[in-house]
Amino acid sequence: MGGAESRGRREFPPGKILCGIETEFGIIRRDVEESDPVVESMELVRSFRETSFGTWAYEEEDPRADARGGRADRLAQDEEEEAFVRSDLKRGFSFRESKSDRILKNGARFYNDHTHPEYSTPECLSIRELVVFDRAGTEILREAIRLRESVLGSPGALGLYRNNTDFHGHSYGCHENYLLPREMSFDEIVRGLTAFLVARIILTGAGKVGQEGEDGLGKSGYQISQRADFMEVRTGVDTMQRRPLVNSRDEPHADRNRYRRLHLIVGDANMSEWQTAMKVGMTRLVLGSLYARPEPVVELEDPVRTIREISRAQNGRVSVRCRNGRTMTADEILSCYRERLDGILTEEDRWIVAEWDQALQDYQADPHRLRDRVDWVAKSELLEWAAQEMSLVPGDPGLQSLDLAYHDIDPQEGLFWPLEEEGRIRRLTRPEEVPFAMSKPPGRGRAPIRAAILARFGERIQEAGWERIVFSGGRAIDLPPCLEADEGEVARLVGRIAAMENPEGLEPIVRALEEKGERNGRS
Amino acid sequence: MNGAGFHEVRPQSFVGIEDQDRVPLPTRKGGGPDAPAPKNLDPKPIRDRMLDRMKKVDPKQSERYRQRTGE
Repeated sequence: MGGAESRGRREFPPGKILCGIETEFGIIRRDVEESDPVVESMELVRSFRETSFGTWAYEEEDPRADARGGRADRLAQDEEEEAFVRSDLKRGFSFRESKSDRILKNGARFYNDHTHPEYSTPECLSIRELVVFDRAGTEILREAIRLRESVLGSPGALGLYRNNTDFHGHSYGCHENYLLPREMSFDEIVRGLTAFLVARIILTGAGKVGQEGEDGLGKSGYQISQRADFMEVRTGVDTMQRRPLVNSRDEPHADRNRYRRLHLIVGDANMSEWQTAMKVGMTRLVLGSLYARPEPVVELEDPVRTIREISRAQNGRVSVRCRNGRTMTADEILSCYRERLDGILTEEDRWIVAEWDQALQDYQADPHRLRDRVDWVAKSELLEWAAQEMSLVPGDPGLQSLDLAYHDIDPQEGLFWPLEEEGRIRRLTRPEEVPFAMSKPPGRGRAPIRAAILARFGERIQEAGWERIVFSGGRAIDLPPCLEADEGEVARLVGRIAAMENPEGLEPIVRALEEKGERNGRS
Repeated sequence: MNGAGFHEVRPQSFVGIEDQDRVPLPTRKGGGPDAPAPKNLDPKPIRDRMLDRMKKVDPKQSERYRQRTGE
């Protein structure tokens, strides 16, 4: 650790930053002309019956709490949200019925969010875990599709897309979450991270045919990022309108005196596992370094304009203006962040750094070299080839339909899957490990403890969320993030929970985890 | 799930998920400006397979595709 401002901070290397991603999927019915998206999303989630628990603790959530101070009276999306709730009520669904929340045995959350099926990975302490549990989510959604289609009696009736746009100005997200030490101020995060988030799209973009947003709707052409068009402000608590590069929602799902959860909504949903790993892996390393040395690496003059400029430039190659008057390209910005990395302790961190170096070298030599890792490159080559083979001209809606088909999660229909199967795009997970991640939680962190409690005491639990478990009768426990316990220790705790007669026995376990966290936090 | 099952049902390959230092993410083969670029779509089998899939895509699909704003 270095830097005057970081003195007195507890040790918090990147490997201790608990992380997770939440992906909303686009959903369609192919077999009927008209369908109700609320019902389709709800019924899809409900069809997946493998669940250890079904009642989510919504009281744990407070999307209006603002890390910049206070709490927003209203969000920009409230009017639209309230209209949705009113129309859902007319259908006869309660709020809980509409959400149809499932807490899965693997520690993930699966529910209907604003008419989109959403899969949130369990909290993970390693990037490898995260990618495996995210891939498990794809398989869970495929299984839910099979179950729902069997009820409908219509194979192939449902289409699900892992993308972020309907090409008509409506976006849905793939959000990232990072549990950070509370002493890292939100202002420090915004100043330090924004330029990185803008520049990282050259390695993390999913690619998109066309432009959206006020300045782009209806324009053709190919761009790097699906989400860049929808970013409107540098920071803010809103998520559905006035979308921010850095979301200021202050909802830690952990002790707010010790932690803050950074909730990022700027990223694309990737088909490439490498990109998911690098998106979260690079961001976690940058956050770890910022914690040690909070001074910004690069500050952009207008980051909202810049993310669109980079996304819309040929191969992302454009010089953008920094606050100090200098101009830089996205790869130069990423190189600056790379040089400032601190606290690279684990083999996994070293893997991220080596891939980061290699990817920048490849991008600088020729962006096409990234075709085996990066969606925007792989998809642009595929579309270029398709245009020749199928005589499609720029602006042809067929190109946008092929873009959409790249993100189709159906292994028999989606255009991404043959590329991965044939090794044209790298796969990081091993196929045999994914089925286990569909029903078993990660080995470390809070998720396995929560999963064990839900499995053992499910019938005595009233509701549960990421942190809080409320038992019938009102007694509640708040689970600490459990950053210090290794896999063996967690397995022993899980064994003790499974053998417990009643939930009173959980209190000493939770207390011991809290004390261990406090002890290590002081080191 | 019970405590014993937590270990027993997990094959060796899965144990590595939790231990980043024992089973790292795969290493890239080759690489660098002088290394051969990754394969493109030239080889015949994948070309045919991709073309079959692409021809099945309804060209009007994206025009009809409408979703509500999410987050």
